[in-house]
Amino acid sequence: MQANSQKQKARKTALEFAGYVAPAVFFITLFVGIPFVMCIYYSFRKWNGIGKTSEFIGLENYIRLFINDPAFVSALKYTFIYAIGTVLIVNVLAIFFAALLESKIKGRGFFRAAFYIPNIISLVIIGFIWKFICTRVFEALMSITGWGIFGLSWLGDSQLAVFSTIIVSVWQSLGFYILIYVAGMQGVPTELNESADLDGAGAVRRFFSITIPLIMPSISFCMFHSVANSLKMFELIFSLTGGGPGTSTTSIALDIYNTAFNNSRYGYGSAKSVILFIIVLVISVIQVNFFKGKEVEA
Amino acid sequence: MSKKSKALHGVIQLFLILFLLLYLSPLFLVGINAFKSYQEIMTDVMSLPSAFTCDNIKNVFHDMKYPATFLNTLIATVIGTLGIIVIASMGGYKMARVKTRYSRFCFLFCIAPMMIPFQSFMLTLVNVATTLHINGKIWGLAIIYWGLGAPMSIFLYQGFAKGIPLELEESALIDGCNQFQLFTRIIFPMLKSCTATVTIINVMWIWNDFLLPLLMLGGRKSSKTLQLAAYSFMGQYKMEWQNIMSAAILIIIPALILYLIFQKSIIKGVVAGAVKG
Repeated sequence: MQANSQKQKARKTALEFAGYVAPAVFFITLFVGIPFVMCIYYSFRKWNGIGKTSEFIGLENYIRLFINDPAFVSALKYTFIYAIGTVLIVNVLAIFFAALLESKIKGRGFFRAAFYIPNIISLVIIGFIWKFICTRVFEALMSITGWGIFGLSWLGDSQLAVFSTIIVSVWQSLGFYILIYVAGMQGVPTELNESADLDGAGAVRRFFSITIPLIMPSISFCMFHSVANSLKMFELIFSLTGGGPGTSTTSIALDIYNTAFNNSRYGYGSAKSVILFIIVLVISVIQVNFFKGKEVEA
Repeated sequence: MSKKSKALHGVIQLFLILFLLLYLSPLFLVGINAFKSYQEIMTDVMSLPSAFTCDNIKNVFHDMKYPATFLNTLIATVIGTLGIIVIASMGGYKMARVKTRYSRFCFLFCIAPMMIPFQSFMLTLVNVATTLHINGKIWGLAIIYWGLGAPMSIFLYQGFAKGIPLELEESALIDGCNQFQLFTRIIFPMLKSCTATVTIINVMWIWNDFLLPLLMLGGRKSSKTLQLAAYSFMGQYKMEWQNIMSAAILIIIPALILYLIFQKSIIKGVVAGAVKG
């Protein structure tokens, strides 16, 4: 009798658990799990995406990727340059501005909110706005000021275009990172800074010896977030440069899109997708290990 | 405060104000050029409009089918976010409460997709949607967001629910609450501040998302979202900047108004989502 009721109770808890968790598991499996597994499956096959049949070709897609596809190699190169550029610039600038905002100036809340505004605009619109700035507005500034910097072809030259995508991306996301760093700096106890001040440490010294080590969790999060985001970048270049001139600003994600939807090579595109996943995964694991030992308690 | 540090603060303040003006000047330029004629944009882009005109805005409003497109985006955002809140709050709460191996496994399964970039399964997601006959439909788009948005939200809810005391639930059950009542009347209200964070993060994401609507609704004329309409519209108008700037204004304004109203909670929500995530 006792054992029976215990069994019943266990079954009831299991049912309850399933009732709560099943919807989430169902939708995640349907729209992430299944497509992801399919992607790995098709990466070993030749498939045009429309036909029902596909043909097993082993590692051929993967081999071609690195040996015989200048477009993918150039996408890898661009994505890494873009990622390194944005991650460094956006984090350094965000820490700098967060430190300025934390120096007890007036209107901190206002500045934080104002810097965040570009974040509420979609990247597609941001791309069009900057296309306008880089062409029409710079043209006008050039004729007003005569400064050579406005006469350069910021979106038309393949090297400058890479730089432009980095700058626009920093412009769009800076406010978000400032928010995170300000939140981190608010957690730094003021007594620490005050006693260091009494001991004769200058503002710069205090910043590097006290603030930076104590905001390591924020730095770690922001690095993680900015690296992952920049490796996935798609929408901004879609409207700002269209991946050009040539393929100079085509990211891995845009290359995947082009391979599948413009060239109808889904199997091949799937192999590129798997590579993108592996890159993001490996870099994330390295980052987690790197920052693990660096966080200190206040 | 000493004289020296007062002066320093003044300098910092001035620098920040000047920098902010420069930083936001692109948006200002969008604002003034939306109200100029084509001729004026081509001759004088930097100054205020000499002959203020709303014609561009009117044309674009009509060409984009703004009300219908706006409604589509609103439907996708509302259904998408509500669904994520429902499934993630239930799942996240229960996985925080039940501490068995299965529960732990379910939790890991649910949050693992946070590590998978969307672009690495977007191709086959289109096929899944085609098989289910949900592509090309606004509600279909919204449902896909449930699967894509749930992992992050479950992570937030699970972390938050761990801090809620058990006693309330126990006494509610003794009072004869069933599971449905227990969740809707007792637990969900206690998750309120987490729900605010989840809402803010997902609304901002879905409203501004471009890639998924492009994949799901791209070819169709009738069911477009604002971002999608803006893209095809801007491609079609090439260098007619007065129209492009007007479209940008029409899309930025609603988001900006919402941001100005809810600025404090949005900033709080974004920080909370990031710090816990």
